[in-house]
Amino acid sequence: MSAPVIEARALRKEFGGFVAVDDVTFEVGRGEIFGYLGANGAGKSTTIRMLCGLMAPSGGAATVAGHDVALAPMRVKGAIGYMSQRFSLYRDLDADHNLEFFGGIYGLSGKALTRAIERAIERTGLSAHRREVASSLPGGIRQRLALACALVHEPAIVFLDEPTAGVDPASRRDFWSLIRELARAGTTVFVTTHYMDEAEYCARIGLMVDGRLVALDTPRALKARYVPGTSLAISGRGLDGAMAEAAALPGVLAVEPFGARVHVRFREGALDEAAVRTIFSREGRVDRVEPVEASLEDVFLAVAGEGAKEAAA
Amino acid sequence: MRRALAMLAAVAKKEVRQTVRDRRMMALLIVAPIIQLYVFGHAVDLEVDRVPVVVVDHDGSDASRTHLARLFADGTLVEVGRAPDAGTAERALERGEAAVALVIPPGFGDDVARGRTARVQAVLDGSDPNRASVAAAAIGAYFATEGASLARARLAERAAVAGASARAPDVRVETRVLFNPRLDTAVYMVPGVAAMLLMLITTIVSAMGLAREREVGTLEQILVTPVPAAILILGKVLPFAAVGLFDFGIALAVGAFVFDMPLHGDVGVLVLSTVLYLGVTLGVGLLIATHSGTQQQAFLGGFLFMLPAALLSGIMTPIRSMPEWLQPLTLVNPLRHYAEVLRGSLLRGAGLEALAEPLAILAVMGLVVFGYASLRFRAAMMK
Repeated sequence: MSAPVIEARALRKEFGGFVAVDDVTFEVGRGEIFGYLGANGAGKSTTIRMLCGLMAPSGGAATVAGHDVALAPMRVKGAIGYMSQRFSLYRDLDADHNLEFFGGIYGLSGKALTRAIERAIERTGLSAHRREVASSLPGGIRQRLALACALVHEPAIVFLDEPTAGVDPASRRDFWSLIRELARAGTTVFVTTHYMDEAEYCARIGLMVDGRLVALDTPRALKARYVPGTSLAISGRGLDGAMAEAAALPGVLAVEPFGARVHVRFREGALDEAAVRTIFSREGRVDRVEPVEASLEDVFLAVAGEGAKEAAA
Repeated sequence: MRRALAMLAAVAKKEVRQTVRDRRMMALLIVAPIIQLYVFGHAVDLEVDRVPVVVVDHDGSDASRTHLARLFADGTLVEVGRAPDAGTAERALERGEAAVALVIPPGFGDDVARGRTARVQAVLDGSDPNRASVAAAAIGAYFATEGASLARARLAERAAVAGASARAPDVRVETRVLFNPRLDTAVYMVPGVAAMLLMLITTIVSAMGLAREREVGTLEQILVTPVPAAILILGKVLPFAAVGLFDFGIALAVGAFVFDMPLHGDVGVLVLSTVLYLGVTLGVGLLIATHSGTQQQAFLGGFLFMLPAALLSGIMTPIRSMPEWLQPLTLVNPLRHYAEVLRGSLLRGAGLEALAEPLAILAVMGLVVFGYASLRFRAAMMK
């Protein structure tokens, strides 16, 4: 990882007696897509608001693009782009005028502003919608316009706070290909989401539970740590009855229903496909048995479960 | 500097675009003031004339008929009917058909002819004190003049009989009304109404404008940009200050052409005072916005400010006739000072020296309100 462009050290935020963000430390490198995951109220937005200079930390420190967020919030703001789940556009203005406004309040004017608008339009593929009023644009396009507004001043870092909330799956996929292009071109992307499939696109992921950063790594490493072993997915009929028996097999870590299928996870090296087939065939009908990779959803559930256990203890 | 100007221009331009796109807003800003000024200028007419009078003439002499005809001649009082007795007349007052019952007792003409004290009774409906006092004054003045001329005639008669010349002592008050010679209330009211309209428009527009940004979420988006609060506020307010000046021009035009209001004032004083005043009203709007979460609250807040401001401005009722404990409160009312400047300048042609005090007060108010609004803005928005 190159020199970090976002650095949080023991970052903390309290509201009254409530600790929203507690001792959070991480670094994000240039051009990285950093995913910040957690349930609602886990402290994601509060962290972003501190990093954007919208809110002063109660403790710890953070630097963004080399500027301390508490000491030089205006410099931080000038260096970043921000897009929130609300797509805060002027709905009564067209795409061009929205871009002109946001470019202008970042201090751009004249030819530089015109060029910046052209580039933002081109990057986000909005050229067909330039004169349309924002309120008449469909959700996916409006979301791209919001991204264009956050990028118009060509910031080195963009913060995206649940940028895909409430957008249809096709538009979400298009949006993520935009984000990956951005990162390839060197822009650092800090993104929160609660779509776990989107989190797979991130180079690294931080997991927040109750204000604490409880896990931080690449998706692959997180899976290896929190969902170890190899899993088999069994599809068929009448599988439920044999789940308890399967869980008693040697080397089995977990048996979980997963939609219409059942996942059986073995300790590394203990995989026994024949035994699984035998057990499930006794009660019902097995159509197929195949290896599956753990998903980030599994990771999230495992981590959140641990957090809950800790809290109970 | 260039960056700051670019930011300011961006905010102001956006504000203009949004306003121009919004037809209702354009109507509120430009058409409404013309209509309102026209209507209010006519409606807020404090002149009392055509007071309805019911007459009970028990005398029925030539003298009573002549006096009644002359009393009604100038139009302040209008005869709306006759009643056979005082009781019936009072019931007409109760029903609101008349505001005055004038009772002429039997023998009135005789008394006048013989030089005895003649009595006339006026029963007044006091529920509108202003109208009642005007009517009482009109009746009193008429009969006082009549009495005096009768006395003079009688004295002259006696002197002629005695072969001597005699003149009754006579004191005559000559009134000369300056600045508004016809005592036209519309002329007096138009500057006041213009000041109120200007406040209504600018305060509510600026309060709602900021509250809308907050409600829709665009304010959060602006706050993550490096635009300083002062530039943001200035950019939001400047276009509406321009609209305010434009509306002020309209108000002067309507006043001059429709109500024959004199335009004595120095243009410099008028513009200066209007700019200072708009500074206060727009600042108050921002202040209200920082205290409200939604446009609805901002709108309500605007009205909560407007109502007392209008009532305690001296536009409708003279400040001197307010209770003493209330009078100092009018000093913090920008409307009061602006109306004072407008009336002084437009109607009396007062210059900068004569109006320095209200102008200075407006300037200080503007600075305080804007400073405080900016601080509040930063504090309220950084949560």
